[in-house]
Amino acid sequence: MRKQYFAGVDIGSTMTKVVIMDQEVIASVIGATGPEHRKLANRVMEEALAKAGLPFDDITYVVATGYGRINVPFADKQITEISCHAKGVAYFLPEVRTVIDIGGQDSKGIKLKDGRAVDFVMNDKCAAGTGRFLEVTAEGLGVKLEDMGKLALTAKNAVGIANTCTVFATQEVVSKLAEGVALADVIAGLHEAIAARIYSMIGRLKIEREVALTGGGAKNIGLVKALEARLGYKVLVPPEPLLTGAIGAALMGRDIVKEAEEKGTPLVRAERRLTEATFFT
Amino acid sequence: MTEEKKPEERKKRRTATEAASKIGPMVKAAIGGTVQAREEGKPLAYSFICCCYDEIIRAMDVIPVWTENYAGVCGAKRDAQRFLERAEAENFSRSLCTYALCGLGFDAWREELGEMPPEAPWGGQARPDMMLGSGQMLCDPRNKWYQAAQQYMPDVPVYDVGLPWPPYEDDYDYREVQDYYVKYIVAELKGLVQFLEKHTGRKMDWDHLSELVDLTDRTWNLIWETYELRRAVPSVMGTGDAMNTMVPMVFMMATQEAYDFYQELNDELKHKIANKEGEIPDEKYRLIWGGGLPSWFALSDFNYFNSKGAVFPVEVTYRMIEATYNFDMDLSKVTDPLEHIAWRWVKFWTYWYDRARKRPGSHPDVERLIKYIEDYKIDGIVMHEAFSCRSWHVGLIWQLNMLKKVYKDIPSLILESDIVDISSYNEADTKARIDAFIDTLEAVKSR
Amino acid sequence: MPEKAVVKGLAAAERLYQDYGVRARELKEQGQKILGYLCAFVPLEIVTAAGFMPFRIKGDVNEPITKADTEMETIVCPLVRSCFDMALKGNYDFLEGIVIPHACDSICRTYDVWKYTLNLPYAHFINMPHTTGDSSLDFYRDILNTFRTSLGRFAGKEISDQELARAVELHNRQRAKVRELYELRKASPPLISGEEVARVLIAAISIPVAESIELLGDVIEEVGQRGRAPAPKKARIMVIGAQVDSIAFIKLIEDSGAWVVADDLCPGAREFMSSVDLTADPIEGIAERYLRKVKCGRTYREMKGNYEEDLEDRFGHMRRMIDDFKVDGVVLYIYKYCDPFGFEVPQIKSYIEAKGTPVLYLEDEYSMSTIGRLRTRVQAFLEMLG
Repeated sequence: MRKQYFAGVDIGSTMTKVVIMDQEVIASVIGATGPEHRKLANRVMEEALAKAGLPFDDITYVVATGYGRINVPFADKQITEISCHAKGVAYFLPEVRTVIDIGGQDSKGIKLKDGRAVDFVMNDKCAAGTGRFLEVTAEGLGVKLEDMGKLALTAKNAVGIANTCTVFATQEVVSKLAEGVALADVIAGLHEAIAARIYSMIGRLKIEREVALTGGGAKNIGLVKALEARLGYKVLVPPEPLLTGAIGAALMGRDIVKEAEEKGTPLVRAERRLTEATFFT
Repeated sequence: MTEEKKPEERKKRRTATEAASKIGPMVKAAIGGTVQAREEGKPLAYSFICCCYDEIIRAMDVIPVWTENYAGVCGAKRDAQRFLERAEAENFSRSLCTYALCGLGFDAWREELGEMPPEAPWGGQARPDMMLGSGQMLCDPRNKWYQAAQQYMPDVPVYDVGLPWPPYEDDYDYREVQDYYVKYIVAELKGLVQFLEKHTGRKMDWDHLSELVDLTDRTWNLIWETYELRRAVPSVMGTGDAMNTMVPMVFMMATQEAYDFYQELNDELKHKIANKEGEIPDEKYRLIWGGGLPSWFALSDFNYFNSKGAVFPVEVTYRMIEATYNFDMDLSKVTDPLEHIAWRWVKFWTYWYDRARKRPGSHPDVERLIKYIEDYKIDGIVMHEAFSCRSWHVGLIWQLNMLKKVYKDIPSLILESDIVDISSYNEADTKARIDAFIDTLEAVKSR
Repeated sequence: MPEKAVVKGLAAAERLYQDYGVRARELKEQGQKILGYLCAFVPLEIVTAAGFMPFRIKGDVNEPITKADTEMETIVCPLVRSCFDMALKGNYDFLEGIVIPHACDSICRTYDVWKYTLNLPYAHFINMPHTTGDSSLDFYRDILNTFRTSLGRFAGKEISDQELARAVELHNRQRAKVRELYELRKASPPLISGEEVARVLIAAISIPVAESIELLGDVIEEVGQRGRAPAPKKARIMVIGAQVDSIAFIKLIEDSGAWVVADDLCPGAREFMSSVDLTADPIEGIAERYLRKVKCGRTYREMKGNYEEDLEDRFGHMRRMIDDFKVDGVVLYIYKYCDPFGFEVPQIKSYIEAKGTPVLYLEDEYSMSTIGRLRTRVQAFLEMLG
């Protein structure tokens, strides 16, 4: 029987992720999204195929997810990132019941049961509680974004940040620095502020352990620690926390194909193929 | 309410009067009293201010737990966020009244724990035996908040008192309808008495109630006379103080303690006036706080105004009384206590209607502003738009527009924040706006 | 006799929906006086009986709110702001007056802004009480009589009991027609889509009640003739919220692969499911319906039994609709800054979930600028339903 490969394309607001899998991930690509989703989707898919050493026609099924999922013309199905993240996390960490995904411009909480999403909350309209909050405040403080997490851990006394508005919070921390508060304390305070916003959002889900963290936020050690302090216990981070959405998407594709085979129903696929799309770039 | 010292060493807020500085401890004692009363098994009722039932509950020795006050205390102590966040976790929108969110978050937490949340401000909000809301034009939370709280306390009954007042309309005069408004309010208050009798097992002492109604009238008159003293130049007491001195008016009405407090304040103000003791040494601008509840966590902003030479001799907020002898009816002739309360209520809310009829295109709320501007010699008007409260903070823009249209162009400022949710407050921005406003006042003055 | 429109049924509804107010403008040219009103709590029978055409003021989800901000604070419910914005932009220039009920804070506390800014020949505030006891009902009858007298003065003649009774019957007939239309949604697949129902109802509240009865009748006939071919199964969704006066949100749900078969909305089931009893004094039946029969969070229903019984009294009708229309999932669609519904969300959600139906709670800004965010949530919810 011909080997089956599944592709997951996760177009987030800041990063685009593609994975190709059979039983496990054989290739993955992460790139900045930018404004041209359509062209980008083709490009990263081609890159992933090159890495996997496969032609597009060998891919049995493609699932697109994320904010830009409607801009993937060669995807056979679009599924929301909520369902896909749940699937991706359950694949790596079956004991997880609650997922917290912290992206560049949004954050979400997902409740899992039997490996599927059963409830969710999202914040995609306010920067507070997303990667954006740290990005803007880091810039305001003159600190590199990738250093923020480590610096937070060196704080002696995290300072309280009252403002949730990113712009106001930036003003607040800059003036605190001017008053002589230590930089690490201010940065720790910012991490606590995000953790507080996220904790408040996911509170609506009635959090159950184990809790997993995904998205860019999961790579920020300061944020992980701040959330753990809020929760009162450790959180799990899956291997490749940025790829859980794309992996979940590919796995959803695998399930769809399997179900169609078992039931004998025809598989509905996208009409436009990858090679066609390049004609329009 | 004075703020507690915080690690950042916040300065204690300065009040102009001795009387105002006594309020913090009074409130703390009252809240502590409710917690103790809970332990002693005395009947406690969640209560709202301005619901006509002060005399009724006091006459029956039912102890009020003023939930708006408790939220204000949490706000002033800058410890409301965790309760707001808990309410949000319960699926209440953060755009709702933040008094209610604070209270609901607190109740959810307290009921879950079976005891007060850790380090609850001033001992916490005591679990009630009943909850007394109201249905009226003032505010929706008054008839939705306690109903929502019941999901955490399903055994606690709720009674909503209907308390409307005639709107100001062009197609009829309020006197054409006031009789049936009063009839309705009396029926509703009767229902409240029955409810209280049922749930306390006590009977209303109607004579005692009449005494408290009379005491309330006298207290209203005393407050009015006392606040009218603030017309003095220089100003002897500002809105910053008034946000403290309102406590007996709205949380202790129908008690001798409240009356005595205002007598003390009255004496103090007379003394200051006699000695020309203004609240600040160099008074330059006299302002009216024309609308909106204050940000309880930022009452020190009044001191900031003071530092720029600005004083607030008068405010609309929490001036929930008028002198009963100024009403167009002789209230003393109404001997039935419930009817008396109802008539007082209707006359209070329609007080400025006749004045509005005399000025084309005017409106009672605007007339009130005009009278205060003239009597208190006001240079400018400040209003506060609190995002979570549609009761007091809607119609401010329009009132200012109307004031300028029918009266005169007067410098105005609208501050934006909230009553309890500090995350909406930007101190730098607020001070910048105040500075700009002071510049405007100075420019107008020197014309 | 006005020329009959060539289009009928769904096509007519489309025209009335797209050009909201077109019929009112035609009638105004012919001398008909039109009164605008907000919300479903204005007793339309009294307006109709006085010879005015009641016209429902609505907002526009696609129009950014601009002019309204010069007079009305942005902390007011966005639906009310949008309605006011539309009025300021001249969309409702044909109105002779406005009638505004005490529905909620956003409406009650802005009444003066509406009155003074629009400065129409007639404005009246119906001070409907919040509670439902006997004293409240008595009071409300007095309120309605004040309105009746006032409107009669404006119309130039008193409103008679017979005229009122006739209006009651007419409005009841309209409600019965809507209930008949809803029956067509029970089928699997439903004979009429949620989008079509929304369009028809929104059209119906912009025309005289007699014409709306005809419109509804035509639609029922047209839809009734549709074939009942089996279709792949889709989730059956019920939407609960305040006023949803555009098809956009319903369409979003259906485009995501579901049917919207039921609702507790205005215009919708909440507004049309109950009728006025024919009483000797027509005002009595009218008062009873609007204060007690219509179930909306703005009305505080006195507890008669224990807490569980209270929840049944407040929300039981939702569960019955879920059962009758075989609803798979409920979307609770609430605007930001909405007090009456905002406070009820946790109780409605837990009540419905306890009965076994999943609930998606969405807080929205009213405008369709958020449509991308809504789409993701709705789609995720449908994916979870299976």
